[in-house]
Amino acid sequence: MVEVKTLVSNPVLVIGAGVAGLTAATQLADFGIRTVLVDRLPIVGGNAMDLYKAFPTDDCSYCFEGSRLRPGIRKCFYRSAILDQPNIDLKVNTEVTEISGSPGKFQAKLSVGPQYIDSKKCIMCGLCIECSNAFCLPSPQCQPQAVIYDPEMSDEGAKKAEEECPTKAINLGAQPSEETIQVSDIVIATGYHEMKPVSIDEYGYGKIPNVVTQLELAQILDPNGKSGGALVRPSDGGQVKRVMMVQCVGSRDENYYPFCSKICCVYALKHANIITLERDGTQVTVVYMDIRTYDRHERYYRVARDAGVRFVRGRVSRLEACADGTLDIIAYDSLLDKYLKFNVDLFVLSSALEPPKGSAELIESLSLHPASGFVGPADLTSENAVVAADHVYVCGAATGPAEIPESVTQARAVVSMILQSRK
Amino acid sequence: MPSYNLYMGCSVPANYPNYETTLFRVADKFGIELIYMEGVSCCGSPNLRAMDYLGWLIVNARTLAIAEKNGHDIVTPCNGCFGSLKDVYHFLTHNADYKEKVNAELKKTGVEFKGTIKPRHFIEALYNDVGIDEIRKNITKPLDGVGIAIHYGCHLLRPQDVTEFNPEIFDDLIRVTGASVVEYPLWKQCCGATVLPVNEELAIRLARDKLKSMKEAGAAFATVSCPACANQLDLQQLGLKESYGEEYNLPVLFITQILGLAMGMKDDEVGLAMNRVPADPILEHLSG
Amino acid sequence: MTETEEKADPPAVMIEPIDISKLDPDFREGIRSMPNGEELSACFACSTCTAACPIASTWKYKPHQLIRMILLGMRKEVLSSEEIWLCLTCFECQERCPQNVRVTDIFFDCKNLAAEEGMIPDSIVGLARELTDKGQLYVVTADWEREDMDLEPEVPGLSTEEFKTILKGTRTGRIVGGDE
Ligand SMILES: Cc1cc2nc3c(=O)[nH]c(=O)nc-3n(C[C@H](O)[C@H](O)[C@H](O)COP(=O)(O)OP(=O)(O)OC[C@H]3O[C@@H](n4cnc5c(N)ncnc54)[C@H](O)[C@@H]3O)c2cc1C
Ligand code: SF4
Ligand code: SF4
Ligand code: SF4
Ligand code: SF4
Repeated sequence: MVEVKTLVSNPVLVIGAGVAGLTAATQLADFGIRTVLVDRLPIVGGNAMDLYKAFPTDDCSYCFEGSRLRPGIRKCFYRSAILDQPNIDLKVNTEVTEISGSPGKFQAKLSVGPQYIDSKKCIMCGLCIECSNAFCLPSPQCQPQAVIYDPEMSDEGAKKAEEECPTKAINLGAQPSEETIQVSDIVIATGYHEMKPVSIDEYGYGKIPNVVTQLELAQILDPNGKSGGALVRPSDGGQVKRVMMVQCVGSRDENYYPFCSKICCVYALKHANIITLERDGTQVTVVYMDIRTYDRHERYYRVARDAGVRFVRGRVSRLEACADGTLDIIAYDSLLDKYLKFNVDLFVLSSALEPPKGSAELIESLSLHPASGFVGPADLTSENAVVAADHVYVCGAATGPAEIPESVTQARAVVSMILQSRK
Repeated sequence: MPSYNLYMGCSVPANYPNYETTLFRVADKFGIELIYMEGVSCCGSPNLRAMDYLGWLIVNARTLAIAEKNGHDIVTPCNGCFGSLKDVYHFLTHNADYKEKVNAELKKTGVEFKGTIKPRHFIEALYNDVGIDEIRKNITKPLDGVGIAIHYGCHLLRPQDVTEFNPEIFDDLIRVTGASVVEYPLWKQCCGATVLPVNEELAIRLARDKLKSMKEAGAAFATVSCPACANQLDLQQLGLKESYGEEYNLPVLFITQILGLAMGMKDDEVGLAMNRVPADPILEHLSG
Repeated sequence: MTETEEKADPPAVMIEPIDISKLDPDFREGIRSMPNGEELSACFACSTCTAACPIASTWKYKPHQLIRMILLGMRKEVLSSEEIWLCLTCFECQERCPQNVRVTDIFFDCKNLAAEEGMIPDSIVGLARELTDKGQLYVVTADWEREDMDLEPEVPGLSTEEFKTILKGTRTGRIVGGDE
């Protein structure tokens, strides 16, 4: 089923509804520009949804002052912006499969996943979740405001829910669809993916349960998470007393990614500080090659040292899983020229931030400049890092590892470029 | 004219009467009254601080407290004493707990540390309270064209937030005599005095590096404001002949000796004969 | 080879790592609570202190390493190191530390702790004895030199009794007394 929409004035296509894409979409919409915002996931927010507290304010940096009082990251004002903004056409579970046409008049083919839940109808009553594990509410503030359904987990209960849903919002038989839209500009806001370091065998990731990545740690620390924010071991839910973090896992490594992922030092220390200062008596050790807490984030490093986080410049030499779930670790301390032996409950890898799946295809289809797999600027000598090609823009972590404030700033730069071009 | 409590410490009176006498002679020229402090002894040196911090605090707080009785600032000609007094003063005026603890001990000796007077190096008092212009008026035998290397000394310069010493003071006091200040790479470096009791070899090496650096930079002679530094730079030159086979022949004078000579004092008045390395070049300059 | 034969220890070719759990976790806080020790924790191991030090090239443990060892809790190694006593107290390290760690002051603190535990070089014990016996480090011997210079043969105002009494009541007294 292919439906071609002809529009009076062509909208802007924003690919990716993380903080960058959301910022670009809502601001364009505020200026009266129609925007199609697509994301392959069922809810918006991207990686920022999983961060718990965020630097530099220890809260969500794109929230209004007033909402900073509440803990956690998800009281996002974009929710109301998206709900109230008629100029935004939000399409979740959606990917762009093909782009053709010419700058200013692109044809984008969208593959829209099955719309099992009609988010306009769902009132989040929770009935379906009671009936079946296939339904879940990712977070009370998720956007769209609706439950999500996982067909892989479908069971008898799901059918019951479909029948009993008070608003008839569930359609288990929903099918994927395709549509092609014509757009004037494309904003790439596809963000990053945290590498799963399974192939770096010296760290045992994927084999030893108490070896996790920073993003996984953020979820353990999240008060809305399974353990209610208690720092527990994935293996047995036991309390964690000693943590070791290792920096530059897969970054700055010619065998994986040659670049510095730029923000992992800052969030590793953010986590180290939360653990040391808010989870009583837990000792954190950070094994590093360089600590790169760039510009104002140096503060996190200073606080960490004050709080008693241990820093070891060097590398992990040996790691051994013990029967009691702990890990014996020998690290080489290059500053002392000594080997140190630790025993820890949780081993956290600051894993590289890599381009998300599909980036290469996207770059290829629009003939963009790749920058270590991310989207590079059209003109390397120009100051416009957000211009990827004629009528194609890029912002946020789609340009390479970036923090939230930076992603938001870039999104705003994209908006101003588009506004200028339409003047 | 200003009056000060003079804290001599133990090293100057025992080893360097030439420094002590020129201190008075220079002070005299400007009508400065120096009052020997009553009932005081040694500052204990950094070695006391190393083994007995509290004891070091008490003895130096006592010295400060005695000076508080007549309300005049303390001046000292010794960098070591200056360092001790300054540090204790700084520490106790920033740490109420320790101040209380120390005062509890001082009570037994009948004094109390309040922090009302400041310890200063003699050259600071000279510079700030007499002033360069006044000094200039008294220069009758200018040392024009003589290159002098200054060894400021660790405990005069550092830690700067404690000593609050501005090295330009020293430079200006040299320049006012007509001499030029010879800059040399190792100007900040230690003379080695503190380590003498623990490692003599190392102490000699440090003195030697310092002298070498001065000499290579073209200094005709060197000046110091501390008996321990004088010991290292002047006296050790004799030892250097032995251990390194090197002869520097670099006369080392106390700053007050230099000022004295430039103000027309005779070589015996400034006690030049007591300086180990003969100071002939200066005398030649002054007579020639 | 029989069962009864005594087993000799295997030759030690590998050096055992330092077991962090065996170190003293309170050492760091102990030093931080001592005079001017507070900024200790700010150290980020840049080694500026070592670069600034005029003599560290001869040391087994360099200043930045000693600070690291304090942070890690290597109490025994730090307090028994000869480096802390070789320190010139020249404050060059402290003055240049970009994190305001009072390195020299901290080494003074370490020496005090070492002295408390009796780990103190003989030459320093000798100085302690001078101080408690004579009440000063240098005593005027050549009073004629003073007279030559128009000075009183004896230093006016000098009095060593109080000084001696004070130090006999503090650690100096214990250092000297304990040696007798
Ligand atoms: C452990 C950790 C902690 C962090 N902590 C902080 C912090 O405290 N403060 C801070 O400022 N930053 C932090 N960050 C960084 C922060 O996550 C990013 O700055 C931010 O998420 C970037 O937003 P973005 O919109 O550019 O990308 P993303 O959040 O990655 O969003 C991209 C979106 O695009 C979608 N997408 C991708 N490809 C496609 C496609 N082909 N088609 C459709 N949709 C697609 C994805 O599903 C996703 O929803 C942290 C990162 C990590 C890993
Ligand atoms: S039962 Fe229907 S309305 Fe209720 S949460 Fe589920 S889908 Fe939404
Ligand atoms: S930010 Fe830090 S951990 Fe991340 S790659 Fe760069 S140096 Fe390594
Ligand atoms: S200079 Fe300061 S911060 Fe650098 S290693 Fe030394 S003590 Fe640490
Ligand atoms: S004070 Fe000691 S450690 Fe510091 S630079 Fe001087 S000699 Fe080296």
